[in-house]
Amino acid sequence: MKIIETSRRKFLQGSVALCVYATSSFSSPIFTTKTSDKKVKDIPYLCNMCRNKCAGFARVENGTLTKLNPNQYFPKSRNMLCPKGNAGIQALYDSDRLKYPLIRIGERGDGRYKRVTWDEANEYIKDKLLKIIDEQKDNRSTVAYCNGEGFNKDEYIKFFGSKLGSANFLDEGSICLNTKLGATQLTIGDIGEMDVAGSDYMIISGANRYESLITPDSVDMIHAKQKLIVLDPRCTMTAIKADEYLPLHPGTDLAFCLSMIYIALKEELYDKAYVKKYFQDFDKLQKHILKNKYTAQWAEEKSHISAEKIERITREFFAASHPLYYLGRRSVWSANDFQLRRAMVLINALAGSINRKGGIIFGKPFRLKEEEITEPFYNNAEGRFDLDGIVYGSQKGGSWLNFREKVINQTAPYTVKVLFVRKHNIMQNMPNITKTKKMLTMMDLVVVLDTMPSDTAMMADVILPECTYLEREDMVVSFNRLEPSLALRNRVLAPLYESKTMQDILKGLGKKLSTPLFEISSKYDEDLQDAIKEQGKTKAFNEGGYNLAELYKDDISTRNKKLILTQFDENVYVSLKTKGVWHPYIENQKNLGNDLYEYYPEDKRFYTVQKKYKVNCFLKKLQKYGFDAMPTWHDRYDFKPAKDSFRVITGRYVTSTQTATTNNMMLKDMKETNRLWINAQVAKKLEIEEDDYVIVTSSVSSVVLQAYPTNKIAPQVVWFAHGFGATAQELTNAFGKGASDNMIIEDKFEKIYGCATMHETDVNIRKL
Amino acid sequence: MARYGMALDYKNCINCKACEVACKEENGVELGAEKHRIWVGGNNPEGQWPLLDIASAAFLPSQCQQCDEAPCEEVCPTHATYYDENGVVRVDADKCILCSYCMNACPYDARYVDDRTMTVDKCTFCSDTRLARGETTTACQNTCPTKVRTFGDLDDPNSEISELLRTREHFSLKSHLGTNPKLFYLT
Ligand code: SF4
Ligand code: SF4
Ligand code: SF4
Repeated sequence: MKIIETSRRKFLQGSVALCVYATSSFSSPIFTTKTSDKKVKDIPYLCNMCRNKCAGFARVENGTLTKLNPNQYFPKSRNMLCPKGNAGIQALYDSDRLKYPLIRIGERGDGRYKRVTWDEANEYIKDKLLKIIDEQKDNRSTVAYCNGEGFNKDEYIKFFGSKLGSANFLDEGSICLNTKLGATQLTIGDIGEMDVAGSDYMIISGANRYESLITPDSVDMIHAKQKLIVLDPRCTMTAIKADEYLPLHPGTDLAFCLSMIYIALKEELYDKAYVKKYFQDFDKLQKHILKNKYTAQWAEEKSHISAEKIERITREFFAASHPLYYLGRRSVWSANDFQLRRAMVLINALAGSINRKGGIIFGKPFRLKEEEITEPFYNNAEGRFDLDGIVYGSQKGGSWLNFREKVINQTAPYTVKVLFVRKHNIMQNMPNITKTKKMLTMMDLVVVLDTMPSDTAMMADVILPECTYLEREDMVVSFNRLEPSLALRNRVLAPLYESKTMQDILKGLGKKLSTPLFEISSKYDEDLQDAIKEQGKTKAFNEGGYNLAELYKDDISTRNKKLILTQFDENVYVSLKTKGVWHPYIENQKNLGNDLYEYYPEDKRFYTVQKKYKVNCFLKKLQKYGFDAMPTWHDRYDFKPAKDSFRVITGRYVTSTQTATTNNMMLKDMKETNRLWINAQVAKKLEIEEDDYVIVTSSVSSVVLQAYPTNKIAPQVVWFAHGFGATAQELTNAFGKGASDNMIIEDKFEKIYGCATMHETDVNIRKL
Repeated sequence: MARYGMALDYKNCINCKACEVACKEENGVELGAEKHRIWVGGNNPEGQWPLLDIASAAFLPSQCQQCDEAPCEEVCPTHATYYDENGVVRVDADKCILCSYCMNACPYDARYVDDRTMTVDKCTFCSDTRLARGETTTACQNTCPTKVRTFGDLDDPNSEISELLRTREHFSLKSHLGTNPKLFYLT
């Protein structure tokens, strides 16, 4: 066997974090606390360090959180916590946390704030907001609001959308995965779920499941008896762990997929019975693909993957009993992303891998009832404008780049003057940060709800400190489709400092704003004026649903209990409160050894369900708007960076979640900064050595970071991780560490879903 | 009384560092890259892009090997290093004079200095934390996403680890030194 380096010295070389901690940055005495030998009651909670929501148990000793441990009851997270999950303690005790409400006293972005009481903060917001909404004649959509956290998103929308009446909600979908969701929905009528564990042959394009962990997929991949093929311009951990790694040019996955479809059609490898039963416009697809001659030789030229491999893998895929082309879930790469994801869905469908084991399954998720509220109707509230020029787009979360463009160019049909931002680091999370800064400077009122003084928080007029996920109970959530379960985030500790839960923050705002905002409506809204005439003011207010805080009459615990008991029973409630999770087999989980469990018995999993659906090959609406109705290659998709320039691609380290964990001192301890991956031979020619500082310049801007020459990346491609390069000095652990990808990524977006295309920027590299 | 050991299905390690963080949080290990009881060594794939040999890359989780014949114990002048009743190599902080002989003697580089106590520290199999309160897993074992580690009693023929070592090929690190580690790497 090969000798693997086991010495810790070797390990140290790759890690820059030495013991600077004792003397510098940290004012808080709490780093790590050794757990005691005492038994204590562990509190079940759900992690929020990333979007997975793994379940865990929190150990609290004398009022201090000392350890987070995985929870064996949750099918989704498979009894694990990743490094970020484990480091959640440091998110709670981060000494840089936002502790009190703050009002800006300096220029926007210069960091000068004064500490105020909650009432003063709410009063300040009220005065500004009333003036603006009055000026805008009750057009509630002058208030835009955005959210980057999965939990409580719907409640946040209920407050600002349903209750306050704004149409302008934005979320991370248009800088993340909306094309994939849309492609699946429009092709097979459902977003589905991928059954990784059940697949015996899986192809992954770019998704880096071993460094960007998604539960249960990442865990299942390791244990599943499956052949794994990974396509990526970069040799990631996922590629290393694959059975076969296929290096390719960025943005050419679609060529590979088209060729797979071509071979499947030409050699008639597809599942004929399935196609006959479910496909719509199969003839059109067949004609289109064959006519364009998407042969393996053609795809080799585009993608750099050999024709022989493409043919062999296609044949293996269609011969497998449970093949899966993994759809990924992450940033949109290129202008062809929507049709790329569609091609993947179509490949699965051609193999019959829909609604069956190891494919895209529909399953049977628990559907939780919505709590009912009365929504006022505002006649003067305008609609959203960020989907103008977008074919589909998400009606819910919109298109960030189109929104921002229209605001800063003043081409929106009305002015947006107010922005409420909740846990959404917009100054770091979308391409071309300069433009986001401009947008924020154009607002009359920016309010940020967050736990950390992020780059975005430091652009706010008012900062409202929200508590972390460990200091709050959240409404019960339904998870997964194959092995559905319910999970509930219990509160581990009371909110520290003066921070509050989102619900309490909105309740306070609601109390302040409801009546005066109602008064403004009654000034401009004729229907409301009629109602007041008929019913009197009080009744019109109450029955019209103008109390913004209606949802928060009861606290979360009461609401949870009510919801769970009406829809389920006492056992379910007790399970959620004591184990954090409930699923029908929780009492009889089978231990598979080494702390791994079987949750649903194999014959009880929802691999196949009764469902009417069709596989849509041809989307007429796209044709109507002048776009490809079917996956198609265009020459402009060819990978052709100019001579001496590089395509920049981005991704994540396993130790960070976008920019949300950027200040976490434990995670900084693991990975202090990001470095630029550059092909080793190319670096040699440019005389760039490891850790040399290089300047990376795009058409938008430039950044400086250290180089990491490696054989794991293509010659004309460079990569660096997202989540670094914070500019807020208030983030004492993160400030000045590494570079921010969105500083240099050009702000292009595709027109099907309005999603930012993250991998279409070319850069020049120069050694400093 | 037990004889604790650990088997590592090291090919499943994805170098995610969950074990490193869990260990630090559980055992109150200081921050800083030099202060760790557990780490992952590794090598990159050989070859040049696009002809990379992914099979040549491997990741080896490592920590104190819990030797039965521990060189660190032999050289300790104050007997601060000792075997506890479960065969775990431990350090008595009260007796440690920070002579650092043990750090040099350890062929696995498993020891470091805790700057707060100014004593030598290392992996204890979570003996004074988790095991002391009756738990049956170590922090690193429990949290691992891919469940690389199996921890248990080598003297108990029915334990999972005994079963694993009976049924799967394994090796130990630097076995030629005669240290008889209780960490076993499964092939
Ligand atoms: S993957 Fe990690 S960060 Fe994400 S929820 Fe799970 S434990 Fe938390
Ligand atoms: S937690 Fe498991 S997979 Fe992650 S680095 Fe440690 S041993 Fe490897
Ligand atoms: S057994 Fe415990 S002390 Fe040893 S490395 Fe694992 S977590 Fe750390």
